[in-house]
Amino acid sequence: MKQREKHTQKIGLVMSSVPGYSETFFRNKIQGLQDSGFEVILFVDYLDKKNFNTSYKIIGAKNYGKSRFMNFMNGGLALITSCMLHPRASYKHYQLDKKDGVSFSKRIKNLMLNAFLLRQKLEWLHFGFGMLAKDRENVAEAIGAQMAVSFRGYDLYLSPLKHPDCYDSLFLKKAKYHVLSEEMKQTLMEYSIDAKNIRVITPAIDTDFFQNDHKPQVRKFIEIITVARLHWKKGLEYTLEALALLKESGLSFRYTVIGDGIEKERLMFAAHQLGLSNQVIFKGKLSPNEIKKQLSQSDIYVQYSIQEGFCNAVLEAQAMGLLCIVSNAEGLAENVLDKHTGWVVEKRQPIILAQKIEEVIALSVVEKQSIRERAVDRVRNQFSLTQQQQKFQEFYTH
Amino acid sequence: MSRPLKIAIYSGEIPSTTFIERLVTGIANSGAEVVLFGVLHRKPLYDSRVKIIAYKHMRLSKLFHLVRFSILLKLFKAQKKKRLDAYLKTRDSLNLYSKVKYYPVLWHQPDVFHLQWAKGLDDWMWVQDFGMKLVLSLRGAHINYSPVADTALAEMYNKNFPKVDGFHAVSNAMIMEAQKYNALANRIQVVYSGLDLNTLTEIDARMPYDKAILKIISVGRPHWIKGYTYALDACRLLKDVDINFEYTIIGGAESIEYQYQVHDLGLDNEVRLLGPHEFDVVQHMIQESDLLLLPSVKEGIANVVLEAMALGTLVLSTDCGGMNEVITDAVNGFLVPVRDAEAIADAIVRIRKLSPEEQLLIKKNAQDTIKQQHNVEGMVSGMMTLYNEVVGVR
Repeated sequence: MKQREKHTQKIGLVMSSVPGYSETFFRNKIQGLQDSGFEVILFVDYLDKKNFNTSYKIIGAKNYGKSRFMNFMNGGLALITSCMLHPRASYKHYQLDKKDGVSFSKRIKNLMLNAFLLRQKLEWLHFGFGMLAKDRENVAEAIGAQMAVSFRGYDLYLSPLKHPDCYDSLFLKKAKYHVLSEEMKQTLMEYSIDAKNIRVITPAIDTDFFQNDHKPQVRKFIEIITVARLHWKKGLEYTLEALALLKESGLSFRYTVIGDGIEKERLMFAAHQLGLSNQVIFKGKLSPNEIKKQLSQSDIYVQYSIQEGFCNAVLEAQAMGLLCIVSNAEGLAENVLDKHTGWVVEKRQPIILAQKIEEVIALSVVEKQSIRERAVDRVRNQFSLTQQQQKFQEFYTH
Repeated sequence: MSRPLKIAIYSGEIPSTTFIERLVTGIANSGAEVVLFGVLHRKPLYDSRVKIIAYKHMRLSKLFHLVRFSILLKLFKAQKKKRLDAYLKTRDSLNLYSKVKYYPVLWHQPDVFHLQWAKGLDDWMWVQDFGMKLVLSLRGAHINYSPVADTALAEMYNKNFPKVDGFHAVSNAMIMEAQKYNALANRIQVVYSGLDLNTLTEIDARMPYDKAILKIISVGRPHWIKGYTYALDACRLLKDVDINFEYTIIGGAESIEYQYQVHDLGLDNEVRLLGPHEFDVVQHMIQESDLLLLPSVKEGIANVVLEAMALGTLVLSTDCGGMNEVITDAVNGFLVPVRDAEAIADAIVRIRKLSPEEQLLIKKNAQDTIKQQHNVEGMVSGMMTLYNEVVGVR
């Protein structure tokens, strides 16, 4: 068995850009695969000129230029090169597209778009999120590879709202799917995907890094915290409304929001209008070390998202021993087990959220401690990087 | 004063928004000379007293504009040009873009430079050094929320507001907002927006509760300030109590946030998210609706509410900004607190229960409010008073 795994299988991961250093999940996945003897190549649509210090090869899609003319010339050149050097894969891709009813011009366009993939020899072609597989549904088969697709949340729940038929073609293909939660698995099954082709691999965190040795302290304020992009799907406006209710009922607290994003103005105005300017601190984006420090100084972690695949930040907060209150958005109810490792509240209900926060604050020290301990144990036992590596290895081998 | 006042109404775009266009026409009709500067998108039909000094969004047009006014200034106002150039240099903005924008204004030197959008204020403070009076309109976003998150903008307001010669506030509530940034109260004049009331029709006695489906409508860009998420949450509450309704958001089509919420709350059959429509079509759709809902978290005074009141459609609005200067709850419309889906849903349930007579009375009261408080004549005379005050004519 060990011998067989040592055979170098090539996995091509398709992403839109090279993941940042902070994307532990991704780096860990690649590291794990390499350690198990896989060769990993990363394909990205956008490759800037930064010198990426990576242990794996990165191949960027050709930028055909902005003008129509340059696009036509460069695309045409790529098309001719692809057909000359990789005639079999190119022809097969063309034929498969034709079989799918793709128009002639689109078939040619797809050949140009996918030229950089069609010249590869891979065992697996894995799309990092659903939308990346659009117009590339036939690439894996054309190059004789197996296709895998990861869904992360946004791409499964939001992209189809903007592009209603975006996965019609993909879901008819032979592919193996990776999702972050059982809830997402259910959603995929509703698209008629066979359960046996779907693997749930939850995100994982560095449980050695996210540890808190300090005992909970008695403070002047209750320290509440959220780590999230400032995006509507994170439900921060509802969170602020709940906090306004708590302020009204006389609770002394401070709320720290770590993260940046397009809804900053909206949220700062909400905090201002709700009279929370003195209670809410928008910290902006912080490094993992700083996040850890902030978490270690907090009591309650709130993740009241509207849409959420799974959420690493909640895992990190649990590992740090915070009392976590989350919404029931998609994967969150699997991330935190209600009344066992934290609390799950129906989304978009600030009144209920406020009540829950009050309830949690009122719990006895012993009750709080037992929830904390269960959460820490569960994250350490079930969401470690090692387990994730193992699961990804199995994903490609079983 | 022997000659008529020369007033620049500046929004940077020609034509501008419906309300600014109405102001341009109104001021010109009152006898003043109006000058419009900026980018010309389409040439509107104006009175001869409106002078357009604009360029098209093309390099050649800008170049012609620049050369023309550079020569004119060099020949006839060389000192002033030199002074402006020196000022621009101190701001590090002595570039072609600034010259194209500023030279025509310096050449024409209107008595009043009326800036429509506060965010651009810092770019126009110089006009005062050349004898022009600077008037600033205090409208919606620029005062209401942008400076809350943007501290640099707030600082710019703090620095410049005390120097502005006169402010036009779209509501009394706006006075309070502007004072937070050091605007002097005695320089602020509230001038309500005016509607073209010539085409007003008699209000009919349409009765929502007679129909099987209550038709609710909102109009506005898909921006968080419009508070549509609260309206959609309210829709779910209405559905929970089995009220048959149809809610249309004109302008909400492109938002994934609303699409997701509609889908998530199971409102696919009740809610329609449409793209933007022509003014006439929007008016017709408002007229065809039983209730116009304004769920905004903040507003100056929402023009769409004024339009709906004039058209005889009931209005339910959040009590934000200046909305309570137009609407008195249960008299000529309905008000609910901001950020409160339950209050919106409750109010809709209440409105549905009104008798036909009660509804008709509210609609008539609403139309009367618009006639009295939001006519073009009132807007023009209010604005002329402000202009005359800043130039020292009483």
